[in-house]
This record gives sequence, C-alpha cells and structure tokens, in this order.
Amino acid sequence: MTTFFQLFVAGLALGCIYALVALGFTIIYRASQVINFSQGAFLLVGAYLVSWFSLDRSYPFAVAALLALAITALIGVIFQVLVLRFTVGQPVFTVVMITIGLNIALEGSVPALFGSTQRSIGDPWGSSSVSLGSVVVNWDSVWTIGVTLLILAGFFAFNRFSRYGLAMRATAMDEEAAMAVGLPTRRVHALAWGLAGAVATVGGFFLAGFPNSLTPTSDAIALRAFPAIILGGLDSPLGAVVGGVTIGLVEELTAGYQPNNAAWLGTNFYAVAPYIVMILVLLVKPYGLFGRRPAERV
Amino acid sequence: MSDGAVDVVADAAPVLAASGLTLTFGAVTAFTDVDLRIGDGELFAVIGPNGAGKTSLFNVISRVYRPTRGAISYRGEDLLHRRPSEMASLGIARTFQNLGLFHNMSVLDNVLVGRHHLMRSGSLLGGVYAGFAQREEREHRRAAMDVLEFVGIADRARFPVQVLPYGVQKRVELARALAMEPRLLLLDEPVAGMSAAERTQITQLVRRIHAERGLTIVLVEHDMGMVMQVAERVMVLDFGRVICVGTPAEVQHDANVIRAYLGEALEDAS
Amino acid sequence: MPAWLTPRRIATVLAAAVLLVFPFLVDAFWLNTAAFIVIYAIGALGLNVLTGLTGQVSLGHAFFLGAGAYTAAVLGGTYHVMALWWILAAGIVAAICGAIIGPTALRLRGLYLAVVTIGIVFIGQHIFTNVTWLSGGPPGRAIPTPQFGLAFTCPAEGCALNFDQPQNVGGLTFDKNGMFYYLALLILVLGMLYVRNLLRTRPGRALQAVRERELAASLMGVDLFRWKVSAFVISSFLAGVSGALLGSLVSYVQPDFWSLILSIQFVAAMIVGGAGTIWGPLLGSIVIFGLEPVMQKYAQSLPLLAHGSGGGIPVSSATHILYGVAIVVFLVVEPLGVIGLARRAGRVLQRRRIAAAPAAAA
Repeated sequence: MTTFFQLFVAGLALGCIYALVALGFTIIYRASQVINFSQGAFLLVGAYLVSWFSLDRSYPFAVAALLALAITALIGVIFQVLVLRFTVGQPVFTVVMITIGLNIALEGSVPALFGSTQRSIGDPWGSSSVSLGSVVVNWDSVWTIGVTLLILAGFFAFNRFSRYGLAMRATAMDEEAAMAVGLPTRRVHALAWGLAGAVATVGGFFLAGFPNSLTPTSDAIALRAFPAIILGGLDSPLGAVVGGVTIGLVEELTAGYQPNNAAWLGTNFYAVAPYIVMILVLLVKPYGLFGRRPAERV
Repeated sequence: MSDGAVDVVADAAPVLAASGLTLTFGAVTAFTDVDLRIGDGELFAVIGPNGAGKTSLFNVISRVYRPTRGAISYRGEDLLHRRPSEMASLGIARTFQNLGLFHNMSVLDNVLVGRHHLMRSGSLLGGVYAGFAQREEREHRRAAMDVLEFVGIADRARFPVQVLPYGVQKRVELARALAMEPRLLLLDEPVAGMSAAERTQITQLVRRIHAERGLTIVLVEHDMGMVMQVAERVMVLDFGRVICVGTPAEVQHDANVIRAYLGEALEDAS
Repeated sequence: MPAWLTPRRIATVLAAAVLLVFPFLVDAFWLNTAAFIVIYAIGALGLNVLTGLTGQVSLGHAFFLGAGAYTAAVLGGTYHVMALWWILAAGIVAAICGAIIGPTALRLRGLYLAVVTIGIVFIGQHIFTNVTWLSGGPPGRAIPTPQFGLAFTCPAEGCALNFDQPQNVGGLTFDKNGMFYYLALLILVLGMLYVRNLLRTRPGRALQAVRERELAASLMGVDLFRWKVSAFVISSFLAGVSGALLGSLVSYVQPDFWSLILSIQFVAAMIVGGAGTIWGPLLGSIVIFGLEPVMQKYAQSLPLLAHGSGGGIPVSSATHILYGVAIVVFLVVEPLGVIGLARRAGRVLQRRRIAAAPAAAA
C-alpha cells in the first residue's frame, strides 16, 4: 500500500507538471487557435535560465526564477509579435510547423549557449524530503503540487474575473467580433504567449528539480504532455488539468507496476503508455474528453 | 401547419418529396414541418427572409444534416438511409452559399472533380497514365471543357480558383455541379453578392440549363427578381415555417408573404 | 525562342543532366552525401503525397521508414533474399502498416491526428527496441548491402551485382556510393513520374479535393475512406523503400534512429522544398539533409562552430537552429518553399519577357 501511495503522489506531482505544460498549450490555443509545439522548448529554456542565474551567477533562487519567467515570457511575446502575426489566415498546419521550427531553433540554442553537460537547477529544497507516515515524499513534489494548484486557481480567477481574462475568452470565441468591439486583440495574443511561456517555465523548474537533473533533452517530457492535452481536449483548461494529472498517474503507476506484472510489454513501457491511453480515448471521443467539435459553417 | 398541404402538384412520382421535415439544434429550430413535392423537370424556388432556414433545408436534402423529424424521398426511395458520399451517384448535385470550391486547384481541375464519380481510374491506373487512364482522362477533359464553355469561362480553365473574382468563382461552382451530370440540381443562392449585370447573366444561364438539359432544379434565393423570372413554383419560408407555396404570381400577392418580407407596420398602414 | 522551350522544360533538362553526370565530378564525401539525400528524398516524396497533396498531417513518417528498414534486415540479412525483393517487401510491409493506421485519419482531424502520429513514432520505437530479433534491441543491427542477381536468394558467395564490390561498365567505375546513388535516383525518378501522373488524373484530384474541402469532395462522390487510406499506403510504401535503402547505406542502425526528430526533418524537407510539388521533396532534402554533413565538413572554416576540441556551438545545435529558422522563414515568406520561390522568379522573368517583346518588335 505504501508503494501505491508513493507512486500516487509521484504521479500527482508529475501530473501537475504535465498540467502546467498542457495549460500553457490551452491558453495559446484558446486565444490564437494555434497549437504551440515549442511549449517544451520554453520549458527547457526557462529551466536552463533558472539554473544559470542561480548557479553560475549566484542569484538567490527566487530572483533567478523570476528572471527566467520574465525572459521566457518575453521570448513568447516576441515570437508572437514578430512571426505569428503574419500568419493569420494560413492553414493550421503551416502555423504548427512554424512553432515546430521555433522549437527546433530553441532546442538547438540551449546546448549552444549553456553547454551539454548535466546540471542541477539549483532549487532551494533540493534533496530534502518529508515523511507522511510510512510514505516518503520529496519536498520537490510537494512544492510542485502546491504551486501548480496556486497557479491553476490564479488562472481560473483571472479567466473568470479579470478584464483581460474576459478579453481572452472573447477573442478565442470570435476574433473579428472582439476587434469590432474594440478589444485589444494584439495584446491579448501577446499576453497569451507570455503567460504560456511563463507557465512552461514553472513546469521546467519542477521538472528539473530533484531527483532529476537538467540536460538539453529534458524537454522530451513535454512531448508526453501531448497525450495530456489531447486527452483533455485542446480548448479546455479544466481538461488540461484532468488530462495532465491522469497522464502523470498513468505513467508513475505503470512504471511502478508494469515491470513486475506485465514484463512482456517491454522495458520503459511507462513512456509509451500515455500515448496508448490517448489513442484509445481518441478512438471513442475524437476531440478528447472535454473538447468540443468545432462548428463548421456549411 | 404548412400551406403546402393544399398545393396543386399532383404529378405521379415526384423527383423530390418530403413530409414533416424538421430540424432543430438544441433549443434553436431551423425549420419545422416542411412538406415538399417537386416534379420531374420542375424549376422550384425556396425563398424567405434571412435566417428563414433555407440553406439548412438544402443541407438536410443533400444529407449534410440529419433532420430531427420527417421523411425525404428521392425518386420514390427513402433518402435518409443514404450518406453524403452517395449523393453524386444518385444524381444529386449542389452548390454552396459560401462556395465549396477547391481553392488551390485550377478551374478545370475543380470541374473535373465533378466528373469523379463518372470515372474509374484509381491510384494504380492513374499513376501509370497509359491506355485506359489516358483515354478516360481525355474524354472527361473534353466534357469538362464543354461545361466550362457552356457556362462561359472556358478561357479561365487553367487559372487557380483563388485568384479569380467572386462572380467567376460562382460560375466555376455551377460548372462543377453541372459536370456531375446530375438529375437534381440544388443551387444555394446562385446570385448572392453579384452585380446586376452578373445577376442577369446567371439568371439566363439557369434558364438555359433548365431548358436545354431538362434537369430538376431547386433554387434557394433571396433575390425576388431572379426567382420571379425563372421559377415555375415557389415556396416561401419564414422563421422556419412554410407560409406559402404556389406560382410566382400567387406568391407575390399572398398577404402572409408580404407581411413576412415587409413587416407588420406596412400591413397596418394599408 | 521557340514556344516549347519554356523555362520549366529547360530547368528540368538541366536538372536531369546534372543529376546523371554529378557522380563523376565529385569526390567520395559528396557522392556519399548525395546518395543519402536522394534516398531521403524518396521518403520525402512519400510524405508529400500524404501531407502535401492530401493534407493529412503526419509526424509519424519515421515509423514507416523503420518498418521498411527492419523488413530489409530480416529478409536480406537473415534470409539472404535478393535486393530487389527485399526493397519491394520493405515498401509493401510499410504500406500495410500505413493501411492499418490510415483509417484513424477518418475520425481525427488536424492536430489530433498529428499527435496520434507522434504517438505512433514512440510506440514504434518502443516496439523496435523491445522486439530484439527484429531490430537487435538497443545496440542495433546490421542491414545488408544490396545484391542483385537473377535468383530469389543470394548464395553465400554473393549475387552477381554486389554493391560492396566496385563494378566496371564500359570504362566507368561505379563504387558503392555511386551504385547507391543511381539506384536511389532510379527509384526517385520512378516515384516522381508516378506522382506527376497522379496529379494529372482522377486519383490526384481526389487526394487534393480531400485536402481542400472534405465535405464538398464527399458530395461529389470522393470516398474519403478510400482516398485517405490510399494516401497513407502510397506514402508508407515510399517511406519503407527509403528506410530500407537508408539502413542499407548506413549499414548499421539502432532503434532510436527512427525518432520524432527524423519525422520532423522529413516534414521540414517537404516544406522547404515546396509542399504538393513534384520536385519539392528532392530540393527540400538537399537543404535539410545536406546541411549537417556540409557543416560538419566545413566546421573549421565557418564562424562560431565547434570543431576538434575547441569551443563554439556544436554542429548539431547549429544545424538545428538553422533549419528551425529556415522552416519559420519559409513558412512566413513563401509557404511553397523553394519551388514557390522558383515560380515567383519564373513569373518575374515572364513579365520581363513580355515587357521586352513589344520593344524588340518595334
């Protein structure tokens, strides 16, 4: 039973990271109808920036974290303003490929700027852990879950109660109408990308925290966030969270139980289990659990 | 209750018949209780103010939407059991209000897709392009060019559709539907957004199609002028209900129709 | 100039001449790089049919290449089948995989389909890594060099035409790189002819109609199921052949080679070359798959790059950055890639010709 709880908590923590990445995707998708393949790269760049600021420059962790957040948010905004603005009206596939291009370029620049050796993210809670009964839980996991819940609560409040939240929802529903009513749609898009970049960075902190370390391929994990996003439905923040947590749990529980009980499925099966779950769900619900079929005017 | 129940057409074997057709989207009703009887070779128009449910009706007839209630039969056979992909082989062709053209393809290629169901070459034969595939291609290109000539745009055959003006695009759509060699042609607002000159040309074209090819044509239109010139019978929809069916002259003088288009105030004033 | 001598025809003839004569003008490094590029171009041509013509977004191409490669490994390596058969079989096995996966494209649209294809790459890699008799497991496995002969299998001494042994034909020597190059070129040209024929007949139009407007296409009688699956089958066949030749030229392959990055490279090649065009896949492959070897070779002379034990940007990072940027720039400026640029240039030339003509006649 202790194993189960430990795996469960680890799954929740991992799920929170996926939820953050998925949330970033959803924010952009709802505001700009774009799926941002470079979310993973933002995560990577953000994590590396924190590591660099706190270890190489010896800034206090909180300062390093804020700087990293600001810079990745800025990269997102710049990308939106300089590139994506000019692709309005292009088919979705084109825009997706552009974000893939950005992903490749950002991924390439990380080892170029920071080197390829493994590094630590320099988080203050490091390897310490806490015991809840017979279950041992890393502080990193605790912080992950806690901060994620805060961010999610903050996001939902922003979405529902603030003016820009409302503007984002309106722009997502009908951009032309939003412009006609005088909403600052350009700022809305920039805001969406900035937020998504920031949220990805937070995910990056926790991802690279103990017991993991940071390498130039750490962003591969963002690819596993895809099943989370798809599972939840591209345009639903609630779905992003549910999807993220589900996938995190699937992964950890599979990693824990499969090698002993279903070894024929192969080693590292936990890495593909999320994709299999996603495909199975999509066969039944082609727009994810919470997604809606986009209306087409005939 | 629709006035269609007392309409006059008592032809044997109507081409298109519908009874009690209803389409609702949740709380919104597109149309209710629509009855139709369209005879072979008729030119039938469906008119009504914006939002009256005309295009939705077309979408139901061409099986893009499934009606909430009611029945449709085509040449005596139940149409509701058929899928959209069977429309072509049944001989039903339609144009779209917002243009359903293949933008990145040429005019000729668009029209040739209309010939798709009349041709046989698949990925193997077509990929080799010899013998059968070649002959078939030549034959159908000629047929497609003939249709383009008929519609008056043969000189634009090689142009990609997206660079052409709206009026020409609408003709490409019409040519493509004709190329399918349909027996029932559904035209969704064929003159919408056109200048007066273009409107006249298209109206003439529709008349010619009807006269020369003996097709049954159902027309959804806004433009009363065009409808009155070409239609043999007209059905008026308002707020999803049939308020009148009859000849153009009858419909023009019907009190309900006048009220629907001009509003209550005028009625009271007169 | 006579009317039939259009810029396009001249360009095609020139290109054909260059492609044919090229191997005799360059050294082993360039010939080897060119052989790889042409082999990749076969795969890119396949992806072009699926995504460029039919509009089905796929990031799963690497899986089909892998399936082809391992078919070649088993048939050619374990059973010593003659090359013609294992090349064909590689295509067919991959095509069967495509036929199985194709129907998912019916239910799923756009981004959902893209992510499922990503899943297929990962699941594929997982299968390849774990099914050791097929792939040799994580350490990998050798893929045989092509041997052509008249029998179904090749005897122990090898078949008549063995790529490992240089051949002499009429005074010209063909080494391994050269033979791979011409074999791949032959297959690529056949593929390009096939695609060109598709484009001028009913099947090509059907595929494009599916890309443009599914509903309208369906109402015209285009069977969406049949054509989407056909696109997957054609695309996967070419990918399988490409994968088999690729594995064979590399001669030793590990399962993690068939990765998402490889799939993305194919998509990039398709885009940079020009999606939906016939020459696009080859042109795009030259840029995308030629970039890294060239940069590796000239790392010393190019600024900023790391070479030997010196500092600087690793070549792989630099290539990534470059083609990430290339993808972005092309898509924003000229979505039809290099072919699009060539067409624009062609139109400019044509306008100048027309403008110049009256002056000349006067």
